[in-house]
Amino acid sequence: MSDSILTVAYLTAAILFILSLRGLSSQETAKNGNLFGTIGMFLALLVTGGAVVATGLKGVEGVETANSDFLGFGLLAGAIAVGAVIGAILSSRVAMTSMPQLVAVLHSFVGLAAVLVGIGSYVQVGAHHDPAHLVETWIGVLVGGITFTGSIIAFAKLDGKIGSKPLILPGRHALNGLMVLGAIGLAVPFIQAEGSTGLLFLLIMTGISFVLGAHLVMAIGGADMPVVVSLLNSYSGWAAAAAGFMLSNDLLIVTGALVGSSGAILSYIMCNAMNRSIWNVIFGGFGADEGAAPAKGANEPQGTVTKTTVEETAELLKDAKSIVIIPGYGMAVAQAQHPVYEMTEFLRKQGAEVRYAIHPVAGRLPGHMNVLLAEANVPYDIVLEMDEINGDLPETDVVMVIGANDIVNPGALDDASSPIYGMPVLEAWKSKVVIVLKRSMSAGYAGVGNPLFFKDNTQMLFGDAKDSINKVVSSLRS
Amino acid sequence: MIEGERRVALEPEAVKALVERGFEVLVEAGAGAEASYPDKQYAEAGAELLAARKDVWSRADLIFKVNAPTELEGGEHEADDLGEGKTLISFLWPGQNPELLERLAARKANVFAMDKVPRISRAQKMDALSSMANIAGYRAVIEAAGHFGSFFSGQITAAGRTRPAHVMIIGAGVAGLAAVAAARGLGAVVSAFDTRAAVKEQVESLGAKFLEVEFEESGDGAGGYAKVMSKEFIDAEMALFREQAPKTDIIVTTALIPGRPAPKLILADMVEMMRPGSVVVDLAAEQGGNCELTVPHEVVVKHDVTLVGLANLPSRLPTLASKLYARNLVNLLDEMLDEDDNLNLDLDNEVIRGCIVHKEGELLWPPPKIENPSPPQPKPAKAPEVKAVAEETAAPSAVPNFIFVSLVVAALVALGIYAPTDFLQHFTVFLLACVVGWHVVWNVAPALHTPLMSVTNAISGIILIGGMLLVGVGQLSLAMILGLVAVVVASINVAGGFLVTHRMLKMFRR
Repeated sequence: MSDSILTVAYLTAAILFILSLRGLSSQETAKNGNLFGTIGMFLALLVTGGAVVATGLKGVEGVETANSDFLGFGLLAGAIAVGAVIGAILSSRVAMTSMPQLVAVLHSFVGLAAVLVGIGSYVQVGAHHDPAHLVETWIGVLVGGITFTGSIIAFAKLDGKIGSKPLILPGRHALNGLMVLGAIGLAVPFIQAEGSTGLLFLLIMTGISFVLGAHLVMAIGGADMPVVVSLLNSYSGWAAAAAGFMLSNDLLIVTGALVGSSGAILSYIMCNAMNRSIWNVIFGGFGADEGAAPAKGANEPQGTVTKTTVEETAELLKDAKSIVIIPGYGMAVAQAQHPVYEMTEFLRKQGAEVRYAIHPVAGRLPGHMNVLLAEANVPYDIVLEMDEINGDLPETDVVMVIGANDIVNPGALDDASSPIYGMPVLEAWKSKVVIVLKRSMSAGYAGVGNPLFFKDNTQMLFGDAKDSINKVVSSLRS
Repeated sequence: MIEGERRVALEPEAVKALVERGFEVLVEAGAGAEASYPDKQYAEAGAELLAARKDVWSRADLIFKVNAPTELEGGEHEADDLGEGKTLISFLWPGQNPELLERLAARKANVFAMDKVPRISRAQKMDALSSMANIAGYRAVIEAAGHFGSFFSGQITAAGRTRPAHVMIIGAGVAGLAAVAAARGLGAVVSAFDTRAAVKEQVESLGAKFLEVEFEESGDGAGGYAKVMSKEFIDAEMALFREQAPKTDIIVTTALIPGRPAPKLILADMVEMMRPGSVVVDLAAEQGGNCELTVPHEVVVKHDVTLVGLANLPSRLPTLASKLYARNLVNLLDEMLDEDDNLNLDLDNEVIRGCIVHKEGELLWPPPKIENPSPPQPKPAKAPEVKAVAEETAAPSAVPNFIFVSLVVAALVALGIYAPTDFLQHFTVFLLACVVGWHVVWNVAPALHTPLMSVTNAISGIILIGGMLLVGVGQLSLAMILGLVAVVVASINVAGGFLVTHRMLKMFRR
């Protein structure tokens, strides 16, 4: 009977998780969605905890459980409490600009947990070791391990602890291939081993998966982190699903599938937005295009740029009826989103229409710019996606590009030799005037020159973005 | 100084720019007075004001002027004050003033003509002809409105309806387009004519109608100028104007051909056909006028039509005209400065070569003919190439897709044959969940992708269950310890994930 309650509870939890994701289809329903997810989680944990405390959980067959499990219960409660407190502290302290790092760290925890649960269930006294089960364990640990170390490296790259330049070892594809083959190959003796004697193979494979995960992500440049993090999101889901197979737990399987598909979709969107194939991404390397030397298009932009001042910028903005702001990660780095909003508010009060245009890969995480703008109190209905606003740019009086480079590069549309050719971009140059805020004329992450800066209707406002915008605001107010 | 000229070659902002570049700036006292730039502003910008004109000529190495040096009272000539080795930059019209050129040559100075800056896109910021033409076109419409007896825009008032004025602009160059824009701004119904087909798009983008002649001859000459048309074309053009004249209230003509007298486009009979009270503004008056009846420098009324033959319209907006002219000058000067801000007359520089008239007295104008490019035609050739590349990359992906699908089918079949039943049950759940996940997540708003990631992190903390199962079974053991660690770590995810999602979602507001 307790089994049926468990099943029903898990079913409810799964439905609540699905509803939670569905709630994210709009800002209005999103908060409820989060609530559903929380309820579902509580339900699942409560019921599982209850079942564990009571005897004979079917999750691990044929094992006798000790009757008084208050030791186990106490330890569990303690462990959950510790984890919850740490999680609460992390979530309340993290700056929105560091969200990518937090997300990466959380992925690594899921990976780690999958590895531990996999190994743990293997060494468990009396564990059932049929081949299907063993394969599931193997997969769970493999994917979990890759996710674990891959996410740690992603975190380090995002946080600047490791350089963003990709680490291209000679023969890296062969190295990766070797590791994968090794991981698969070792499965054979593992499966054939009696009882828990295959532990050594499992541990070796775990080690390989750690190295593989780290190596794969080390070989990816900092600019591609949005795709990497989405991919790791996906992997963490598959790891959880594999653990679910291993433990014959449908809730784990369903949740893992939800998370896995979510990450896969985000990765696909990111890849499309960067014009890279997803197969290329999955197999780790980004092809010969990603080299040590910054790639150059055949047509390096010629000419001079027109410099402008904060006063002239303020003048242009004052006279403009429609303004679009294109933020890039540079704006977040400069912490300029708050003064940018101050400027937006001022201009809107003057009767101008101000909107933001977000490119799918702006920022270091999908949807990152939206969160940063929300944090700066920007109302979300003036924050538009690239597809929604690109068509309006020709009628826009002023476009301000703040800390963004590749996402407004016209070379992506018409220069077939450019490394970013084919990537959809925000067509800023079609507006009447473009003002680019940049620290200097250095190239962006793709290392490509940007013809936008040399166009006749483009003016460059050099300097730190936050500083410049603050000055523009005071100039507007005077 | 030419009679009636109100512009000044440098205004205070430009003086500041020059001072920043390390120049000493001398200004003739009162030079900017008629352009609303009092001496005080010049002084504040860092200029030294000199009461005597001659002092400016003698002390300065580089002299900026609006108009070419002219004869003064008493038989003297401004050019005589130009010292040897000095540099003069002003409007010059070298093709029309051979005597002036001789006089200047004798001075053994460097002379530049602002009206000869090449009409290439790089030099647009130095092109004074364009900046002045822009102003002239606008002013032409203002003059027309000032002499016209009605509104430009149509209105419905209690006292009755007024119909909008019909304005025809002849010549859609810089001045013509500025006139189109100004007339549209005042609410008139505007049509424009030009022999060059390339400007049709520009005219229409300003909201005006492009008048066309039923004739297959392109008027596009070199350098974006029009060329002289054949007689047949001109006849057709005249027929068009005759057709339009009775319907048009305002005509602004701007047709010029470099080096030749202005073409006669509005003939006497057409003026007679126009309604009484109509206005013709002839921007080509100084070159003879596009209208037969124009009297240069005057406003006259003939056949009840007001004919405005005023010249030098930019001078009537002296504040703006001076500002733009000064900008052109400073930009041209920048072209002539090397990295150390020293004057370097590099004859390989297309712009400098184009507008230099004398170098130390040696005549260098006109420059050797370079085929000036016309405005680029739209490039249809490139598009098919791009398409071909795109299609090439699209086609190969069909093959991997097919392989992928076959592999999946093979795998499913293998599973069906070999896998144990409970695995298949779980696998069913797995696949269905993937499908649900796919559909649900595609609906997530892109703006919420970051909260999506944090929520999925939170729910993947469900792996906590696995840890729980390890802990709750049996005595203290390796499995239990591993399970405990897994529980701690997964709890971080659950708490952290949901809390940070909540924090982010709270921030979104309308």
